[in-house]
Amino acid sequence: MDRTLLTRFLLILAVLAVAAFQAYPPSDSINLGLDLQGGMHLVLRVHTEDALKSETDNAVINMERLLEELEMEGESRRTSDNTFQIIGLVSDDATEFKRTVENDQRQPGWNVVREADSALSFAMTANEEANVRQSAVDQAQQTIRNRIDEFGVAEPVIHDEGLGSERVVVQLPGIDDPERVKELIKSTAVLELYLVAEGTGEAPTEQAAIDQLPAGLGTEYQVVREPKFDADGNSIGEGYWVLETRRVISGRDLRDARDTLGEFNDPQVAFFLNRDGARKFGEVTEANIGRGLSIVLDGQVRSVATIQDKITDNGVIHGNFTQQEVQDLVTVLKSGALPAEMTYLEERTVGPTLGRDSIEQGKKAGLFGLTLVVLAMFVVYKLTGINAIVALGLNIVFVFGALAAFGATLTLPGIAGIILTVGMAVDANVLIFERIREELRSGRTVKSAIAAGFAKALSSVLDANITTLIAAIFLFMFGTGPIRGFAVTLSVGIIASVFTAVFISRFIFDLLYARKQRVDKISI
Amino acid sequence: MEFLTNTKIPFLRYRKFFIWVSIALLVATGVEFFLLGGLNFGIDFAGGTQLTVKFDESVGVDQIRSALGAAGQRDAQIQQYGPPENHEVLIKTPVKEGSEEGSSKELLAALNEAFNPDRGDNENDLNQRGTNSIATVLKASDPDGLMADDVDAANAHYEAIANAVVDARQRLGLFTTWEQLQAVDGLSSAAYDEIRDGAYLGSYVVRSNQNVGPQIGKELRTKGALAVVLSLIGMLTYIWYRFQLRFGIGAVVAVFHDFFITLGLFAIMNYEFNLPTIAAFLTLVGYSVNDTVVIFDRVRENRDRFKRMPLEDVMNLSINQTLSRTVLTSGTTLLVVACLFVAGGEVLRGFAFVLMVGVFIGTYSSVFVASPFALLWEQMTASKRQQKATKVQTV
Repeated sequence: MDRTLLTRFLLILAVLAVAAFQAYPPSDSINLGLDLQGGMHLVLRVHTEDALKSETDNAVINMERLLEELEMEGESRRTSDNTFQIIGLVSDDATEFKRTVENDQRQPGWNVVREADSALSFAMTANEEANVRQSAVDQAQQTIRNRIDEFGVAEPVIHDEGLGSERVVVQLPGIDDPERVKELIKSTAVLELYLVAEGTGEAPTEQAAIDQLPAGLGTEYQVVREPKFDADGNSIGEGYWVLETRRVISGRDLRDARDTLGEFNDPQVAFFLNRDGARKFGEVTEANIGRGLSIVLDGQVRSVATIQDKITDNGVIHGNFTQQEVQDLVTVLKSGALPAEMTYLEERTVGPTLGRDSIEQGKKAGLFGLTLVVLAMFVVYKLTGINAIVALGLNIVFVFGALAAFGATLTLPGIAGIILTVGMAVDANVLIFERIREELRSGRTVKSAIAAGFAKALSSVLDANITTLIAAIFLFMFGTGPIRGFAVTLSVGIIASVFTAVFISRFIFDLLYARKQRVDKISI
Repeated sequence: MEFLTNTKIPFLRYRKFFIWVSIALLVATGVEFFLLGGLNFGIDFAGGTQLTVKFDESVGVDQIRSALGAAGQRDAQIQQYGPPENHEVLIKTPVKEGSEEGSSKELLAALNEAFNPDRGDNENDLNQRGTNSIATVLKASDPDGLMADDVDAANAHYEAIANAVVDARQRLGLFTTWEQLQAVDGLSSAAYDEIRDGAYLGSYVVRSNQNVGPQIGKELRTKGALAVVLSLIGMLTYIWYRFQLRFGIGAVVAVFHDFFITLGLFAIMNYEFNLPTIAAFLTLVGYSVNDTVVIFDRVRENRDRFKRMPLEDVMNLSINQTLSRTVLTSGTTLLVVACLFVAGGEVLRGFAFVLMVGVFIGTYSSVFVASPFALLWEQMTASKRQQKATKVQTV
């Protein structure tokens, strides 16, 4: 073997070794897309306007407090998700109020404008609005992650679609209980504790509940429904309670939640409050011994108990849960509250069996196609066909090696791409071999025909493959999900096929014929 | 085996005939296209909900249709999916007005109402229940009495049982008898009783569940169209740069020819137009250009060699010289695509169809559309030049 032949051999061997090393064993080294391994792909929209509203709520409360602090007359009025007004101010007060807010930085992130003599308009700055929306998306992601972790999914992918996007993408491989997971992710599960209005009890209808209050509901009280179940979990009607609107405890005060069993071995949820919550809870229970306390979950009364003693940091939610419901409730309570409502924009769930079937079918079609192409090459080009077959085999190794090395994801269309590559990869070899045959027919010697064949076919090989590569690149740029997988395998396949045809086939020819002085015959 | 060597077929002599053939094909597929109301857009682009559900043997497509109709899902399209012995159906509903979340919940509720009447909720249905849920119940009730010894080992034990149960279900497709559950490896009779207690064997499993809301559907449409248009522009720019204008025109005409005829046939066959279809069409465009480029490459070479030869003869010569390559490459590609079409499964069938037709039409058009148009363009510009020349003379 002469020097250049040896260098080329070593180079080919090195590339092949790297590819084979990367790709082996294929079942571990290649990332399978969710369409092949089974799982769930979700795109959610976080309704960040909810977060704006609650941020505005906070600002309104803050400003009302300031009114009290400065001992001024005035009231607040909501004007939109992120604006409000303070109206009914005395003219001098308005000036004074605005100055205090601005100079003392009482409401950072908000602009205050003197609207009329008696009114001030508050508007969230664009910057603050972007911050609030972004942090809602961030918090939603964190909450989703906590819930998924609790559920135990291997390698979940959770990310947003870049700054300023309201979307969160969630990918969960191997999920076999999609409806439950969807509920779990979206569940708001707001836990609140309220005092029952003094002197009232359970009523059969909403009106009957209100009638217990001589002065009517006003802003101080609310009526909340309690669904009722028998021991087997069948619905047996409902009750209504009059509760104070002031919350004793909210989800924010929660430190931990755990599933336990009640006195009849019924599954229930124990919750534990953080220091702040425990202090509040202690004060309220101490001051209200003998009154009713209700646990409200998602706007429904779950249970009402009479306060016997001062309670500080824990409590129990019971009321007809199954084991699984208890587990999910614990997960949701522990993960923290979602900052805003969410909607599923896209859902794609593929069961693991469907994915496995797809892989099997792809393998079958691929092997079938490969066999036919190999046969065709052998029949048409005889011994030289082996050259094309070797190139084809290496081509497949390179494609898998590149997929593994770049961490690309193999999808079902990606498998189609590989199969297509098998058919198209021989094209470069065909172009070259046909050219060699032509040169032989025109009377050249074997060695010069080979040289001329490669030289003359090169521009065709490049032109033909570059055009397909352009299509693949655009597919990659604008494609989504599985289509990208196709674009990747097709591009890699094209590049590999040019490499194998131009470089490796040439090497094999040279290896066979270059050393000999004269070559009279070639099997082509 | 050598074949198609030294052929001297005067392809371009018949160019007028083949141009009419192509026009007729285009018109025919175009008319069919509009008569049939265009493409059958899948949920990727139209939005909507699509379920594939595997039933046990007792349920037929008509029963499903009437069950969904009774539940108010009258827009649902129901078709058998894959071979009949698989008992799989595909259920597709259009976008629900004013909702992004689709109707999979309603569809499943309607199916349960009709075919799983006594099932209770998902938790009771052993054919719907997930691994996590089975494991939770086992851990809580501890039928094998292991929790007292070692909690971690007990948890692992019950998780393994849950996995084995779900694996067995997946292998079978779905449980149809309790004996199948009993046969699961490592399942003690106490654990079997616990799982069986209050459980129900539903008559179907959900194989896939997809929903694309109107927002995402619209985005996918835009992106898909953008990918097609930009890659066309990209390839044409390349051809423009590599070859002369007249060849560029020939290749462009051939690409559009292939694209529209395949699109028409695709619509006639009523395959679903979805994301992989876009990929197939772009590959087809790439392939169509690829085939043309190889012939034009040879034309360019031969023009330099035989400077006196008329363009028509140069083209005929080049097509003949590359004929064996054209047939071979198209042949091998067609082979693999046909394998994909036959054995690649339902999801890829439309995809494989596009490529199968595309390879065929693409090969035909390289010879009978691209080259004649390049020639036509040449003759037109030549006669214009002549006219100009005569005008100058007369003045």
